Amino acid sequence: MAADSEPESEVFEITDFTTASEWERFISKIEEVLNDWKLIGISSGKPLEKGIFTTGTWEEKSDEISFADFKFSVTHHYLVQEPSDKDGKEELGEDALPLPMQDLLCMNNDFPPRAHCLVRWYGLREFVVIAPAANNDAVVSESKCNLLLSSISIALGNTGCQVPLFVQIHHKWRRMYVGECQGPGVRTDFEMVHLRKVPSQYTHLSGLLDIFKTKIGCPLTPLPPVSMAIRLTFVLQDWQQYFWPQQPPDIDALVGGEVGGLEFGKLPFGACEDPISELHLATTWPHLAEGIIVDNDVYSDLDPLQAPQWSVRVRKADNPQCLLGDFLTEFFKLCRRKESTDEILGRSAFDEEGKEVADITHALSKLTEPAPVPIPKLSVTNMVHSAKKKIRKHRGVDESPLNNDVLNTILLFLFPDAADKLAEVFENRASTSAGNNPPPESEDYNLFSQFKSAPSDSLTYKLALCLCMINFYHGGVKGVAHLWQEFVLEMRYRWENNYLIPGLANGSPDLRCCLLHQKLQMLNCCIERKKARDEGKRGSMSDRSPGGASGDGAKGGDHSGDNPDKEKEFGKSWDSWSDSEEEFFECLSDTEDLKGNGQENGKKGAKESVNLKPEGRLHPHGKLMLLHPGEPLYVPITQEPAPMTEDLLEEQSEVLAKLGTSAEGAHLRARMQSACLLSDMESFKAANPGCCLEDFVRWYSPRDYIEEEVIDEKGNKVIRGELSARMKIPSNMWVEAWETAKPVPARRQKRLFDDTREAEKVLHYLAVQKPADLARHLLPCIIHAAVLKVKEEEAVEDISSVKKIIKQIISHSSKVLRFPSPEDKKLEEIIAQIMSVEAIIARARSLKAKFGVEKCENEEEKGDLQRFVNSLLEQPEVSVVGAGRGPAGSIIHKLFVNAQRVPAVPPLEEELRRSGSQEERRQGVQSEFPPPTGREVILRTSVPRPAPYSKALPQRMYSVLTREDFRLAGAFSADTTFF
Amino acid sequence: MDEDVLTTLKILIIGESGVGKSSLLLRFTDDTFDPELAATIGVDFKVKTISVDGNKAKLAIWDTAGQERFRTLTPSYYRGAQGVILVYDVTRRDTFVKLDNWLNELETYCTRNDIVQMLVGNKIDKENREVDRNEGLKFARKHSMLFIEASAKTCDGVQCAFEELVEKIIQTPGLWESESQNRGVKLSNKEEGYGGGGACGGYCSML
Repeated sequence: MAADSEPESEVFEITDFTTASEWERFISKIEEVLNDWKLIGISSGKPLEKGIFTTGTWEEKSDEISFADFKFSVTHHYLVQEPSDKDGKEELGEDALPLPMQDLLCMNNDFPPRAHCLVRWYGLREFVVIAPAANNDAVVSESKCNLLLSSISIALGNTGCQVPLFVQIHHKWRRMYVGECQGPGVRTDFEMVHLRKVPSQYTHLSGLLDIFKTKIGCPLTPLPPVSMAIRLTFVLQDWQQYFWPQQPPDIDALVGGEVGGLEFGKLPFGACEDPISELHLATTWPHLAEGIIVDNDVYSDLDPLQAPQWSVRVRKADNPQCLLGDFLTEFFKLCRRKESTDEILGRSAFDEEGKEVADITHALSKLTEPAPVPIPKLSVTNMVHSAKKKIRKHRGVDESPLNNDVLNTILLFLFPDAADKLAEVFENRASTSAGNNPPPESEDYNLFSQFKSAPSDSLTYKLALCLCMINFYHGGVKGVAHLWQEFVLEMRYRWENNYLIPGLANGSPDLRCCLLHQKLQMLNCCIERKKARDEGKRGSMSDRSPGGASGDGAKGGDHSGDNPDKEKEFGKSWDSWSDSEEEFFECLSDTEDLKGNGQENGKKGAKESVNLKPEGRLHPHGKLMLLHPGEPLYVPITQEPAPMTEDLLEEQSEVLAKLGTSAEGAHLRARMQSACLLSDMESFKAANPGCCLEDFVRWYSPRDYIEEEVIDEKGNKVIRGELSARMKIPSNMWVEAWETAKPVPARRQKRLFDDTREAEKVLHYLAVQKPADLARHLLPCIIHAAVLKVKEEEAVEDISSVKKIIKQIISHSSKVLRFPSPEDKKLEEIIAQIMSVEAIIARARSLKAKFGVEKCENEEEKGDLQRFVNSLLEQPEVSVVGAGRGPAGSIIHKLFVNAQRVPAVPPLEEELRRSGSQEERRQGVQSEFPPPTGREVILRTSVPRPAPYSKALPQRMYSVLTREDFRLAGAFSADTTFF
Repeated sequence: MDEDVLTTLKILIIGESGVGKSSLLLRFTDDTFDPELAATIGVDFKVKTISVDGNKAKLAIWDTAGQERFRTLTPSYYRGAQGVILVYDVTRRDTFVKLDNWLNELETYCTRNDIVQMLVGNKIDKENREVDRNEGLKFARKHSMLFIEASAKTCDGVQCAFEELVEKIIQTPGLWESESQNRGVKLSNKEEGYGGGGACGGYCSML
């Protein structure tokens, strides 16, 4: 370029770039970028479809170039379009106007709801912007602005690029752009005016028309008609009569025992402030010819009520404060606390009375000591005082984190049985613990297995909700520590006094639930067995009828202490290996001394037992008969296998795996696990005197007893059966176990499960949990509860998008929560998702209230309104069917009218106001609406410029007027062929 | 050898008693068949390292007892398993009919929901077949499982079953964890190869 400008008379033409200036280099960089992005050449495309700016996808590409050391970013914004077919391209020909110029006149996409400002101002589908790269940089001086403008002009000229190129000047917030678009023989200049104060002559249509015409400077008379599109935007911020109904719940109401809006066991829901901050009504006249309406400084025909198009958008409050979200966030914060319960409640609380809680490690020895919570009656107040007193001693009455009333309410909620009288509790125990768990097979109910939380009617779940509430309203982490301490004390109390824990499903720990829930279930198993044993000892309930459930196996009472002689008779002979087995199936040590009673006992036992009275029968096994005596085969009452929590199982499987894969290892492994088999065999023998292994196998592993139809000597069909080959292997473990098994009913067998030890282990585990551990244990329950709450709230509103999100949350959470120790980030994501759903529902409610959807009596209209409200939530802008005359339109109209009546202004004064200032009178026709917040006008025409014989080219001016901002954005095209 | 191992996978073998679970495992790990294999008590455990498409995987295989009474114990071993082999005996229809119960149990006790399941119809060497191959196929398709018929006795399909299961697990993102970061690279190279192979969809038959 530099070389071209210097006329050289040399023979050899040398192109020399060495002296190229910064400016020249800048221009060539722009050209390079345009080349890279393939923006050179004739731009082609179909005419813009209606609404494509909203429905289509916009993309952008960026690059960085510099002018000397000043960095600019170059960004290409474009609407993604399907590649147009070739035929269309050819039709365009050389003379066709560049696409951007055609777009200037296109009326299909005026006032797009969401678009780049240049799109809104000029209706462009594609453009490139050069702006200072740093956010606070600005090109302010006029000469620099002109330099930039010249640069792009040269770059466009050199490359033949038809895409409009803009430079951003002045401070970025002012959004000032100048630009240019070039085509063959045509050029469009994009110019802009931005002012704070509006000159009064430009506040109305006639003034704007004047500028437009002056600007075009059209040599023709009369001037070709100017088409106008006008949009007035009204903002409603003041929702007069719709006070946001949701108040933060009244905490004091709770304390007084009277349950207010918030109960323990329920999560709060909803926004504390109006989640909808503004309503924007845009009234549009899409296409007006010049002269049809009058809009000048004294009169206006522009009555928003008469506008042919209405559209509405709502502005949502950013992160409205929502109750459920706050609860979740606060609870999640708890997970990060480091302090232990002792540290929080004050270490001194345990210095003196430390033995009571801190010494749980010496749990076994503790059993012999007096109970630490010697409360004669099971009553809430007593429970509360136990821990309370201790804290009070050291911290003073007022300082204890939870006051009595709150604690009472919670404990009563968690342990409803404690309110009853002792005797009643005693009798109803079984029924309450069973009745507490109605098994609704609904999807929601089974959510706990997906989330690894706990059933929604369980103690664990309730505890989680209470802790969540306490954390939020009653003393934060201190309150949590206090309640937990009370809870652990209550657990110990129940263990020591044989009271089952309510709100837990019977049976062994449910591995689908969280570990804490499993631990509580484990404790309940222990209590159940201990209770059964103690009752058996007391002799109050000697032998139970064998008709009970199979779970009653151990409940029959353990008489081992009463008749040691009998015990000796059937002494264990498998003690040779039972030592190793004790690692898993803890046994009472009182059978230890029965060791070594000889194997012969066992073998004799089988024969002797024929004469024995059958014991521990559960029920006959179908119609099966014993093979030899021909008596019915009975299913025995058996010992339940030891209940296990998942951490115990982990340990056990680790030990089993450690035995290795050798034959000995496998053998040992089988031995370790055969305690249950042996116990079942003994029970079976006791229930079926004179039975043999075949009988046992027919009950226990029926496929290992093979029956065949044979025809005997007399020609009759006879069914003959025998053990399978694998059962017949000499001295296989089944045979071995069978031979050693003695006929001992389950209730006299040694325990497979040491409830005392297991209970102490659980209690210790509970006692050492820090509040943070607790929060982590219970977080799945809280998320579970939150999802249920959101689901419940959504069901009222029926918002399809929310349904979808909830489904996503459930599947996302079930993936995250099932893994041990999920990452914090993933948990936060889940909580954020729940919060967003809460906000959406709150917005829907707010809108529903505002539009009076519920009050609407006409069913059809109600449906329409409902749909309208829903689409307001989902779409950036919703058009109002029937504009100002439709049902939604008239409601919006009323909203504005009501807002105009400033509160406390009596109707009389209002009348006076109506005949107010001149400004208001000018807009007389729209008196019911406030003055528009925004006035947008697009003026378009096609006129020859600069000379009457030039080509007619598109001219466009956009103007927007808001309270503190006035902008004119003009695109004026000119024929450059002869100029 | 352990250094080359990409990952350790937990595999579970379940099914009614006497369908040949332990025999399948023995055939796979030791390549032997013992007609007189004692009935499993509780759970048994074997380890084998195999190489699938150049990836070495260490398999910790838990073999379970099929008897009803033992079932109260075994679900606990379902935890954390990445793959499960559900076995039935093609010569005993009742073992096929009970498959639904096993799937229920699996669903209840599994800690993950993307566990890879394989259905194996065992004992195809026997003559008195009661369950047609197509029935097995249909069942597997219905529950999106891998399916193969096998015989621990004649060795048919056993190796293939385990290999296919492991391959499928390795192809399932998020189901397993690499033993070390370095190995991750190796895997990503590998994954490109899988696209061409296309051996498996959600359901696949290998016979």
